[in-house]
This record gives sequence, structure tokens and C-alpha cells, in this order.
Amino acid sequence: MGTALSLVKFLTRRVLHAIPMIFGLVTLVFFVSRLLPGDQASLFISPGIPPRVAEQLRAQFGLDRSLWDQYLAWLSSTLRGELGYSVAHNAPVRDVLLHVFPNTLLLGGTALVVECFLAFVLAALAIRYVGSWFDRSLSNLTLVAYSLPSFWVGILLLSLFSFSLGIFPSSQMHAVGAEQMGGLTAFGDLLKHLALPALTVAAPGIGAIARYLRTSMTETMRQDHVAAAIGMGLSRGRVFRSYILPNSLGPVISVLGVEIGVLLTGVLVSETLFAWPGMGRLAVMAIFSRDYPMILGCTLSGGALVVAANILADFLRAWLDPRIRLT
Amino acid sequence: MRPRVCLVLPLVLSIPLLGCGTKKEGESGSLHRPVVVIAIAGDIDSFNPLFAEDIAAGEINDLLFPALVSSDFDLNSGKLRYGPLLARSWEYANQDRDIVFHLLPNARWTDGTPVTARDVQLTYELYGDPDVASVRQAAVDNLRHTGGKLDIRKSVEAKDDSTVLFHFARAYPGQLFDAGLPILPAHILVNLPRKAIRTDPVNKSPVGYGPFSLARWTPLQEIVLQPNPESVVPYPAKLSQLILRIIPDYRSRLSQLQSGDVDMVSGVRPDDADKLAADARDVEIISTPGRDYDFLGWNNIEIETHAGSSSATIRPHRLFGSSIVRKALTMAINRDELVHAYLGKHGQVAFGGISPLFRWAYDDSLRPLPFDPQGSRELLEREGWKDTGGDGILVRDKVRFSFVLKVPAGDQLRTVVAAAVQQQLKQVKIDMKIEQVERATFWQEVTTRKYDAWLAGFSVPLQMQLDDLWGSDLAKYPFNLTGFRNARVDSILAAARNLKSETDGAALWKEFQRIVHEEQPCTFLYWINSIVAVNRGVRGTRIGVLGTMHNAWEWHVGPAGQADASTSQ
Repeated sequence: MGTALSLVKFLTRRVLHAIPMIFGLVTLVFFVSRLLPGDQASLFISPGIPPRVAEQLRAQFGLDRSLWDQYLAWLSSTLRGELGYSVAHNAPVRDVLLHVFPNTLLLGGTALVVECFLAFVLAALAIRYVGSWFDRSLSNLTLVAYSLPSFWVGILLLSLFSFSLGIFPSSQMHAVGAEQMGGLTAFGDLLKHLALPALTVAAPGIGAIARYLRTSMTETMRQDHVAAAIGMGLSRGRVFRSYILPNSLGPVISVLGVEIGVLLTGVLVSETLFAWPGMGRLAVMAIFSRDYPMILGCTLSGGALVVAANILADFLRAWLDPRIRLT
Repeated sequence: MRPRVCLVLPLVLSIPLLGCGTKKEGESGSLHRPVVVIAIAGDIDSFNPLFAEDIAAGEINDLLFPALVSSDFDLNSGKLRYGPLLARSWEYANQDRDIVFHLLPNARWTDGTPVTARDVQLTYELYGDPDVASVRQAAVDNLRHTGGKLDIRKSVEAKDDSTVLFHFARAYPGQLFDAGLPILPAHILVNLPRKAIRTDPVNKSPVGYGPFSLARWTPLQEIVLQPNPESVVPYPAKLSQLILRIIPDYRSRLSQLQSGDVDMVSGVRPDDADKLAADARDVEIISTPGRDYDFLGWNNIEIETHAGSSSATIRPHRLFGSSIVRKALTMAINRDELVHAYLGKHGQVAFGGISPLFRWAYDDSLRPLPFDPQGSRELLEREGWKDTGGDGILVRDKVRFSFVLKVPAGDQLRTVVAAAVQQQLKQVKIDMKIEQVERATFWQEVTTRKYDAWLAGFSVPLQMQLDDLWGSDLAKYPFNLTGFRNARVDSILAAARNLKSETDGAALWKEFQRIVHEEQPCTFLYWINSIVAVNRGVRGTRIGVLGTMHNAWEWHVGPAGQADASTSQ
């Protein structure tokens, strides 16, 4: 009962702390984005379209009001859960975001799974041969992976596996006629479309997490209780599973919370590069089309996701390590 | 045992991948079935023609909501030709100021409601209503106004269910063009608050009456059109599906065309067109002389605003204010070489602001200014620009001939052309720097005439109305980017507006070209062909000046290897 209560207190406190943080972020983005020349209505200025159309749109969407009034209007719309209206999509921001959010979640989630899985395998291999040339090579490899910018990884994968070898599709999340495919084939089609974008998002994270995990595991291995366990004659696998791994995960889980932010940046690049119909691509399009409500909607959702991931990471860390108190 | 899961899991996950390898050549996803897949760069902005602004949206909406008349571009005469569509016939009255349209009696919306003259009337009411804020509201500007005000019910009269009468303010060449907007369902839109039509969900599930209806729209992914079996305007599409796949990346669009996943790609770059023509047997390249030109914009004026007053002084630009200097700049640029190097057979040198497509108006007696660096240097010297500073750059009154050319970011062709121009201007001792600017910012700044020089492009309209680009009223015409002001051009533009027939304006437009050629408000670089790559199995297309999909109901498919029925206009 006491644990449950402290959990509720912890979550409440963190959420309450997060609200002003997200509010500040969105407010900053609102005012900074307005420094860009042009607005949504200026998209409608072209030869053949009378300039009065832009003026009518400005009046219709309140873009002719003062910046402060526009901010208050957006805030009130957001508190009602509407998040404003996107002129570029001719739809409420909430509806557009709800439509693409599952796609981003699928891409981000898959990338996170791939990231953790491969990082774990690499770290496990590294400590199996700790100090050897293999360990050093892996360490260099993960450093390279960590240093590579996502867009470069994406272009590389695209050029190799899509344009040159033709193994994976270069864009979108389904093939033409996917709706007529059977369950397994449709799933395979989705995986095929998911492979390159997910790997693009995951690549830098694999390097980062593998390095953290390896360092954490190496430190744990030096602990007395691990030496005692080995001395008691426990098998190498059991020592790893029961002593090294649980005690090494704590710091890595904290890093994972931060990694979600990096992952979202990767999603932004990957979705744009592979035409994955998600929130990242939407955000990039919104910036180019001066779709302010959409920019704010994406910022708000992304910010909330990062904060939620960090809270979850803190919670998991405390759950795995009883010495850490939820405060 | 558990660690082995690590090895088994990826294998299990990869099993479905094995079952769906990439399509082999000739196994085009679409062409076993009467389905055509078109790759487009961006999603549709609206399924309501009142608001649809981009080209693909316009073409799709034309298939869902046909107009009163169909149009076709006659390459021989360079004019639009009109034919029946919803209107089976029409006749002129009241000294050609009125047109009476007789509608097909049996046309129905996809929900079964008959299409009537009332639909036409309400459509034009909506196009013209400022509360609706339609991008096409200029189409009602030439309708008859009563007491200085436009009352659409009096200008577009529904005489009975199948007769509609348009009263125009005067007889002019573009009457059928202006009467040729997509017709909307009155029974669905009439009760919606005008300001709320843009945001109404009805725009996502269009009720049309054309040869296609919307089967499915997955935002940011694809738009699937299917035949409308009840359509009589003109008849149900022959294809079982027309799929528009949204693929923003140009390289991906080409790659999917080559792999057979898509059947048609527009906006192919000249160098890729030649490669595709050589490498892809199943792909036909259709290169149509275009309405698009690129130009180097020279700001002709400098605007000095006065503090505390709304007045402003306009004076010639310190560098580009003289037509002789602008002529010298044009002569310093080897446009033939640019066309040869970057466009090949898919472009031609431009010089007068009117496309050679419009044969009746194009002055073929004019010749582009020659590439003549020596002549250019002489003209500049005559204007007082001399290399007196000792740094190899021309100077006049302590002003160096040095400026920044702004180029929209991410435009490959314009970036390389700008670099070539930079080198050529250096030969006449002019210092030009290049700066790429994000596209939306570029257009915002260039339409407020904040740049000295820029490289951009325009598409000329099908109707010869060039006021937007060349009218001297700079506040009214923001797309007169160079700030060019010429009283004779203004009177030509005004006279052309009041002509009864296009051909009557031929002499006027030729005079316009001569003035522009003489004044060189900008340096016209080249006309760029519109290049479409299409799978040879897609038959019956008439890809050309009007776009790609304008006759999509006639399309059918056949084996890719056989002779093709596609014709370019």
C-alpha cells in the first residue's frame, strides 16, 4: 500500500512538474516560429489568385489579430483539446495528429526495440571478450554508429538497399494493393517498408546504448558480489543473468529516457527521407508551409512523449533498483 | 537456452519478408489489372475545388466535379478549344455578353440527386463569396455587376433545371474559361455556414458526378479513385482504379517507376529523362513544350519609405535601374550554353515573357540578345561602370557592381545555373554572390521586393492575362517582382482585357514582347518542357499542356511491349 501510494505521489509530482515545462516549450516555439517571414495565408499568394484571398483567410483564421491574441486563442483551443486548425491540411490539427500518431509510434517503437536488442547483443558480446581485440573493435564500431548523423545513415541505407539492390522499398509504409494482401503477406509488406526507416532511427542509439551498457556491465563485473558469485561456482550464464544484468540496467534505463528525445529527432529525419506518414514528416512539412498550429501540435505531442518517456524511465529504474526511492 | 531466442527471433521476423520480394520487371503492380498508379509529390489539400490549390488536387477534383465545358489545348493554333461536358451545348446572346448553357438532363451526383442548373448557380455563388475565401474567386470578377455590386443570382441565372444563363460584363476571350470551373453539389453545401465550408468534413468525402469517385484517401499515403458507374459526364472511367501514391522524394518516385511500382511520374528532370529513355524500355518520355520559364530577376527600383508618412519615393535601382545595364547583363550570360548543358532538347532560350506555345501571340521575329561579353562590357562602360577600383570589379560613383543573387533552396537546376551565371558575370567584372533561401521565405521576401537579384521561375497562365506579372500598380500586383513600370505596357494589358477575341490581341502582345525585350526588366533564361515518364502499358493518355490526368476516364491498360496509344498534345 505504501509503495503504491509513493508511486502515485511520484507520478503526480512529475506530471505537475512537466506541465509548466511543456507549456514553456510550446510558448517558446509559438513566438519563435512567428519570427519566420510569411504565414499560412501567404501560401495562397500566387499569380492568378487575388491578394484579397490571403487577407480573407487571415481574417477567417485570426492571423490578422495581434500575436498575443493569437497565442491566447491557440491556448484556449488547446485546453479544449482541439490544438487549432491546419489550413494546409484543411483539418483540425488534433485529427491529423491522431491519424499519423500510430505510424510514428510504430516506427519509433520498432526502432527502440531494434536499438535495445542490438545494443544488448553487442554489449553482451563485448563483455564476453572484455579487453580483447574483439571488444576494442566493437567499441570503435559503436562509437562510429553513435557519431553518424541519422540523415547520412538513411541516405546510405536508401542508396544501397533500395536504389542499388532493390531489396527494400524506398518510401511509404505499404505497397500498392496491400489492402488485398493476406495477413502474413501484409505483415511482411509492412516489415519490409519498416526495415530501413527503423534502422535509420535506431543506428545512433545502438552505439550509444551498447557503450553505456558495456561500461555499466564492466563496472558491475568488478563488484565483490559478482566475484563472490563466481567464487561460489555459479555458471557464467547465471552470474550474468542474476547479478550482472539487473545491476547494470539502472544507468542505461536513465539514458534510454534521454534517448527517446534523440529517437524523436531520428524519426523526424527518417520519416521525411522515407516518406513514412508520421508526425515527423508532418512537422517538417508544417515548417515549410508555415502551418503554425501544426508546428505547435507536433511540438506539444513530441514534448509530452519525451517527458512521459523520462518519467517512465525513472519509474523503471526505481522498480529495478529498490535502493532508489521515488522522490 | 534463452540466449538462443536472440538468434531465432530475427529469423522468425524475417520469414514474412521472404514471401514478398520486390516486383520483377514487367510484373508492374498495376498493369495486370486495369489500374494505373501515379506518383505525386504531396498530398491533396482539399477535395473541394473551392479550396484546392495545388496542381494534383486540381486535376483530381476535375475528375470528380467536371465543369460545364471540357477544354483542350490546340498546339497548332496555340489556343484553348472547348467542348461539351456537363453542358451538352451552349449559345451566345446579347452581343456575346451572355452564354446560355444547356445541361445534360440525366447527370446525377453519386448520392443519386440530379445535377441541375441550381448547382451551377450555387457553385459560382460560393466561388465569389468572400466569406468562403475561395482561391478561384477571380473567376467571378468578369460577371455582370448590378449597381456596382455582384449579385451572382442575377449574373448566373438558373432558367430551369437544365438551362443556365451566364451574364458577363462584356464579351471577352476567356468567357468559357471562366465558366469552366468545377461544379459543386448545391444540396450538400447550401445550408452550410459560408465561413465554415472550408473546415467542414464534407470536404473529405466528396459527392461528385464525374467519371471517377473517391474510393479511399489515406492522408500522406495514397488517394484511390474508382469509376463512378452512374456517370454520364462523360462516362464511367475505363480503369478499375486510379491510384495516386504520395512519394515526396524525387529519386524514390523515379526508382519506383523503374521497378514498376508506379506507372507515371511528372516533373522529370531533363537529364533523368534522357537516362530513362535510354535505360527503361517500358517507360515512355513525353516532353511537352512548357509554360514554365526561369529568369534572373533584377530589381528595377529602390523604394524609400518616409518616416512618419505612408508615402514612398521610388527611384531607379543603384545597379539595375537602367535598361542598358540590364541588357548588358543579359548579353554577358550564355543562355544557349545553359540550355544545352542543363536542359538539352527539353528547353529553349526565353526572351519575351510569352511562351512559344501561344503561336498566335508569340513574336517569332524577335531574336534573343546574343551572348556577347565584349558588347556587354562596352554597354556597361557607356553607363559609367569602369574598373577603377583595381580589384577587377566595376565601380561607378564609388558603388561597386556587387550583389547577392537569391535562389530558392533545394532547387538543383537553379543552383547550378546560378553558379554558371556567377562565372559568366565575373568575365565582365561583375561580382555576384549566391545565397540559397528557404522557399517560403524566398517568396515572401521577393514579392515584397526586398531582394536586389534572384533566380526564380513562373508558369504563364493558359489565358493570356499578364497583368499580375507586368502591371505597374505595384501594390496591386505583388508578382511584378522586378518593379517594372511602363505606361505603354499598362495600356496594352488594359486593351487586351477588353478584346472580344484572342486573335485580335496578337498585335498588342507582339508589341508587348518588343517592349519587354527592349527594356529587359529581367533576364529570361529558358522555357522548360514539362516532362512526364509513363509506363508504355498505360494507353489513351493525352499528356500535354493541360497536365496529365485531364482525360483519365479514357485511359486503359495493355501490354507494355506493344505499340503505344499515348499521344502527347
